[in-house]
Amino acid sequence: MSKSYTITLEINRYDPDTQLSWIQAYQVEVGGILRFVDVLRKINDEQDPTLAWASSCEHAQCGSCGIIVNGKPLLACELLVKDAVEQFDTYTFRLRPLTVAPVLRDLVVDLEKAYEKVHKALPYIIKPAPLPPEGDEYRISQERLETYIEATQCINCFCCATACISSHRNFLGPNVTMANIVRLMDPRETATKERLDILYREDGVYRCHTSRACSFVCPKEIDVSHFLALGKEGKF
Amino acid sequence: MGDKLTIDSTLTCDVLVIGAGGAGLRAAAQISEQRPETKIIALTKVVSPQKSHTTTAQGGMAAVDPKDPEDRPIFHMFDTWKGSDCSADQNVIKKVCETGWEEVVWLERHGMHFSRTEEGRIAKRPFGGHMLNFGEKKSFRACYEATRTGKGIMDTVWDESLKYGVDFIGQCIATELLFEGNRCIGAIIFRYPEGKFLAILAKATIVATGGKTRMYQVSTNCRGNTGDGLVLALDAGLPVMDLEAVQFHPTGIIGPGILASEALRGEGGILRNKDEEPFMERYAPTAKDLAPRDLISRSIITEIREGRGIFNEAHNAHHVWLDLRHLPKEVHEKKIQEIESFFRRFAGVDPVTELCPVTPTAHYQMGGIPTNEFGEVQNDTQTIVPGLFACGEAAAASLHGLNRLGTNSLLELITIGKVTGERVIEYLKDAKEPETLPSNAGHISFDQFSIHLNSQGNEKYAQIRDTLRNLMMEKVGIFRTEKFLLEAIESLKTLKERVIHIPIGTKSLKTNQDLWQIWELNNLITVSMVIAQGALARKESRGAHFREDYPERSNEFNYHTLISMPEFNKVAFGKRPIDMSLFEAKGECFELFDYIERKY
Repeated sequence: MSKSYTITLEINRYDPDTQLSWIQAYQVEVGGILRFVDVLRKINDEQDPTLAWASSCEHAQCGSCGIIVNGKPLLACELLVKDAVEQFDTYTFRLRPLTVAPVLRDLVVDLEKAYEKVHKALPYIIKPAPLPPEGDEYRISQERLETYIEATQCINCFCCATACISSHRNFLGPNVTMANIVRLMDPRETATKERLDILYREDGVYRCHTSRACSFVCPKEIDVSHFLALGKEGKF
Repeated sequence: MGDKLTIDSTLTCDVLVIGAGGAGLRAAAQISEQRPETKIIALTKVVSPQKSHTTTAQGGMAAVDPKDPEDRPIFHMFDTWKGSDCSADQNVIKKVCETGWEEVVWLERHGMHFSRTEEGRIAKRPFGGHMLNFGEKKSFRACYEATRTGKGIMDTVWDESLKYGVDFIGQCIATELLFEGNRCIGAIIFRYPEGKFLAILAKATIVATGGKTRMYQVSTNCRGNTGDGLVLALDAGLPVMDLEAVQFHPTGIIGPGILASEALRGEGGILRNKDEEPFMERYAPTAKDLAPRDLISRSIITEIREGRGIFNEAHNAHHVWLDLRHLPKEVHEKKIQEIESFFRRFAGVDPVTELCPVTPTAHYQMGGIPTNEFGEVQNDTQTIVPGLFACGEAAAASLHGLNRLGTNSLLELITIGKVTGERVIEYLKDAKEPETLPSNAGHISFDQFSIHLNSQGNEKYAQIRDTLRNLMMEKVGIFRTEKFLLEAIESLKTLKERVIHIPIGTKSLKTNQDLWQIWELNNLITVSMVIAQGALARKESRGAHFREDYPERSNEFNYHTLISMPEFNKVAFGKRPIDMSLFEAKGECFELFDYIERKY
């Protein structure tokens, strides 16, 4: 039996009916390989069923469970308690919701609103290149694919957008900008001018001030800032 | 609170898609590409369709390339028929296997980032149960995007839906279907953020709500996969089909049961017991670790039962090993690096140097809302329900019968999704606008919500949930017996009575997680009852459904199970014949499409 110990979670609460916010502390006994989502569930099960938090796949593939732990935006399903204790060197954790959208309740934010920005990147192929013959697929070499495949792993968890030092109001955001850049690099897309117009919008890539916080926090370990740098370079 | 629940507003559209995952949005994309003026509303429980559970599918999607010198669609059809243990519908098998490649190319041309060969073409990999020459040797049939094929598909159909202006409503559940006579005219939905009910009137409704295996303790499914679409059908008096067929994926990571794709075995991974013996050589001499999932799951549980499993203290559970240590460096670093990261992160092992702990995990529902080969929903007399369609995991056309091969589900999303979309286009040509909201619209939903909001008692949600999940795992799991199934049915009746006595944490309707989860738990109990009843009634073993008291397949059960349950535990059984059109056509190798023996 792995030894168990107690951690304290200090969590931002928000009640949409009274519009009151407060910080509530929970002490939880943990042990073994527990993720933060398991701890939140344990709090619901044993202490407080009203504490609201979001998740879906719970294994870092969908990006639904983003929260800020001791200042760092991350996925609650990916952070193991034992790793958190080591990384943050503490048994007390401040949990806050992501800052990219209005808080609905406690740790749940309205990411549906944040997604409206993602839609502005037009993530599909706007104007396809001439179709290959005979019902074939387009040919894309492994080398060519390598140049942008990393960026396609983005799950729009909004951790990078939360960490970004530029304002949410003035900047489309690192994930949104990167989604546009992926298609600029995709040989199947020929609407280059339209995409460059999106890239260099008032709230586009020049709002990035190269803090590289995005790359630092990305749960998929995508070097987001690399792609934004390519965007500023503009060689498309 | 005492406030009466009401419908806040009514929306209208041409097509309502309940569940905006791979299948639902493939259907929506088909409709909007062909008829861009169609008004489509797609609903999802999560914040964006991009976050549907489709996105977590890993391994690949099977499709025979007509240019492949060795592979042929008829081999794929045979593999699917045999894989289903002779219970899938052959007309559906034929349609899906013959149009698979076309749909793969559709995805690629619409921007999916498939992994490529050296020539820049779509790459292929082997997968369990997919063979050449009717079972002779493994085939390279699965197309993939690294180990995130599901994400690739989901992003592509979501992109296309965005391009054509499909409206999304996220963070909602459909709580009841609406009917005008026997025609489905839409649904009532409940929005999580505002806590409001809306009515959506639609000329055509597509149910594509995906899977439901969250009633099992160990499951690969996401938090919201609670079988809501099945309950919509049951509440409307419609039957569901083959629900006893639950697929347990053999390699879930010890603990919560996170999926470790079959692709790991496709790339050469080997299962070993506590003596490090590659035990699949005994159970499936030809296919070994690439035998179909039901066979491997049963083999693993048998190894554990006979004392050759390994016990993990931290999770208080038994498992076997998956050995990846011998795979080439390039495979570790380029082909399977994402799944390996799961082992590192969630099990604390390094797959390059250590053995990985795996255990069967409830993964997929072969059964679902019965449809014909065009995605049209059928009632208990196989009559089409006008205006109602279903596709994807929530439906049963049936492509998989009682057992599904890996990579055939992603294939199903894009083939049957497209076919359903096409059928809806046809239906819309003559479909009339629904006239008005039925006078009793919402009463099922309001009753259910009121019960939970006003419940008295001191039951605990967690206790009922855990009891359900453990009970299903033990008694309605991989190995079933009459005794256990009867016990399960009694326990489920008790749980159903208890769930309405969970005192609600807050009566606010806004973002009320407690209310949402209790509603979902109620659905899980409903669906669990149908699974148990189906398992009890099918006194044979076929595909993923295994009865220790009836371990052989029997020709007496050559049919699909239909179960209607408009009220809890008042089950009515029916049968739907298995389509044998490939056998009956007496074409090439037709005798292989008879009720053949299933050995690997």
